[in-house]
Amino acid sequence: MDDNLLEVRNISVTFKNRYGTLKALDNLSLNVKKGEILGLVGESGAGKSMTGAAILGLIDPPGHMSSGEIWYKGKCINDAHEAIRGREISMIFQDPLMSLNPLRRIGDQLLETILTHMNVTKSEAIKRARKGLEEVGIDPNRLNSYPHTFSGGMRQRVVIALALAPEPSLIIADEPTTALDVSVQAQILDLLKNLCKERGTSIILVTHDMGVIAQTTDRVGVLYAGRLAEIGDTREVLTNPKHPYTKGLVDSTPRIDANSFYKELYQISGTMPKLDAMPNGCAFHPRCEFAIDKCSKETPQVFSDRAACWLLENEAIVE
Amino acid sequence: MLVIIFRRLGQSILVLFIVALISFLIFRYVGNPVDNLMGQEATLAQRAALIEALGLNDPFYKQYFNFIWKALQFDFGNSYRGALPVSELIASRLPATIELAVTSAFFALVLGVIIGIYTAINRGGYIANLILSTSLIGVSLPTFLIGVLLIWLFAVELKWLPSFGRGDVVQLGWWSTGFLTISGIKSLVLPSITLGLYQLTLIMRLTRSEMLEVMRQDYVRFAKALGLSSKQVNFNHALPNTLVPVITIAGLQLGSIVAFAIITETVFQWPGVGLLFINAVYFVDIPVMSAYLLLVGVLFVIINLIVDLLYLAIDPRLRDSNTSE
Ligand SMILES: Nc1ncnc2c1ncn2[C@@H]1O[C@H](COP(=O)(O)OP(=O)(O)O)[C@@H](O)[C@H]1O
Ligand SMILES: [Mg+2]
Repeated sequence: MDDNLLEVRNISVTFKNRYGTLKALDNLSLNVKKGEILGLVGESGAGKSMTGAAILGLIDPPGHMSSGEIWYKGKCINDAHEAIRGREISMIFQDPLMSLNPLRRIGDQLLETILTHMNVTKSEAIKRARKGLEEVGIDPNRLNSYPHTFSGGMRQRVVIALALAPEPSLIIADEPTTALDVSVQAQILDLLKNLCKERGTSIILVTHDMGVIAQTTDRVGVLYAGRLAEIGDTREVLTNPKHPYTKGLVDSTPRIDANSFYKELYQISGTMPKLDAMPNGCAFHPRCEFAIDKCSKETPQVFSDRAACWLLENEAIVE
Repeated sequence: MLVIIFRRLGQSILVLFIVALISFLIFRYVGNPVDNLMGQEATLAQRAALIEALGLNDPFYKQYFNFIWKALQFDFGNSYRGALPVSELIASRLPATIELAVTSAFFALVLGVIIGIYTAINRGGYIANLILSTSLIGVSLPTFLIGVLLIWLFAVELKWLPSFGRGDVVQLGWWSTGFLTISGIKSLVLPSITLGLYQLTLIMRLTRSEMLEVMRQDYVRFAKALGLSSKQVNFNHALPNTLVPVITIAGLQLGSIVAFAIITETVFQWPGVGLLFINAVYFVDIPVMSAYLLLVGVLFVIINLIVDLLYLAIDPRLRDSNTSE
């Protein structure tokens, strides 16, 4: 357990609306080790972004973390989010066109971040800002440019430079390439991955793209309706999924190989339940081909640190 | 950038021609200028001579450009009442209106923005909610009622402030200012509040909703995720983006402040152009009315132009784009 940088322990995020109390995250636990890339995958609305917001203490009201603890470098940070934000854990968002303040030069935004976190002089900060831009492949002389003069991919590079500037140990990347052209996606992912590997920075990479998960991550967590369905070594989980939902995700991922032409894709029938219409028991059971009696009655816990599925109750998973 | 400025200037000049046309139409075709100037007992020959002298037989476009040409030299003819040049009448009244309008606008903008920011940052707080519900009163009460209530409370009951007039003014060249005497400043208080209250609530509510909107934007979330303090997030990131639309609206409101000054000036017998206009309407003093309309139109256009330029100064995206908005 010692090499865990971050431990999310049984957190729930709830908010009230006029229909009652809804759980956006339900009893979620996961760990991130030093230097590793943890993927988080799941359909839109599964709670991926919410997990990132909870870790940073940036849940928008009326939502709030109603139970659980977040441990970082061996300390509970439930009440210390401000001290870790940016400096220790940073986050980048999906839409690079919206992530930079349109009215301020990128240099000003970089300097502000560096001067806030690092105890350096202004000229040293400028030096670092230039170096930061260079590292993400942007001409350092563009320090005085405004965000709108950059393309989407370039802006995401600036965003990465900003997130890395305070030298955090963990970066939460919330679908960082979803809004970009396919050809740019790979560049940005590679850049992020390489820069973090060099620095030993861990990444939580949120995505709904199984291909990205396969190519980029060391471990992967699968979220379904605010709960963890499965977590484990990426290769293990993708080649030998234990949760029927993961199995469905893997089977429904398009691939390009000689056998795949004109074959129909597998589809998981039905849709993920809305938060205000959560079924009893396992949230996935109404769509599950393998559901047994128990699945509609009791919510499964995560068995063998791997998957939350009653089918595994009596099966020891040997990795 | 220069292209935008020139285009805006071009648009402004076009609008000015239209305003001048309306003003001219009123001047020329509302009532009969000859009747107004000579009365009923003039002979036909006298009338014909005057019509010729005024150029009323000239083709329409010629009269229109003649009107504009004279207006450019501040020549709006003589008032039917008292026969003073209209431009002199307006010049003597303009400082009062401008000082009143500027004071109210300043009061409305500064307080509106500050309170708006406060209620946005402290959303849902007790004081913020109280301010919000009170502000509804500001929007819904008619101006004259606010004026009368203020007069009743502060002038009649408490006797703190005067209820009418400008107090003592100091003459600086042709400009008369009330800013330099105590009674002048005291006299400004109630009319400025009356005139500015509506704008104040408007700007406050606008600032609040814009700021709340901006605080939901990704760049604010990102600034927070980067660990900037809430002061940095609110004032370096959220506020400038909030102010762009607020400045536009506030600028445009300055125009309506001048226009709405008519009511306030009437309630407080404030000797400005608004009061002049009301009296002109009362006596069907067409030249004064037409000159007033032209003046307000020109003010609107100038203010619009300044707002557009401010907009350019604030928002780099507009500065770089050579095409339209
Ligand atoms: N501030 C909020 N208030 C209420 N509900 C929210 C809020 N933010 C997210 N949700 C809900 O929480 C669930 C998880 O959302 P999210 O984490 O954004 O999903 P994902 O990122 O996996 O697409 C969704 O059902 C969403 O509607
Ligand atoms: Mg999301």
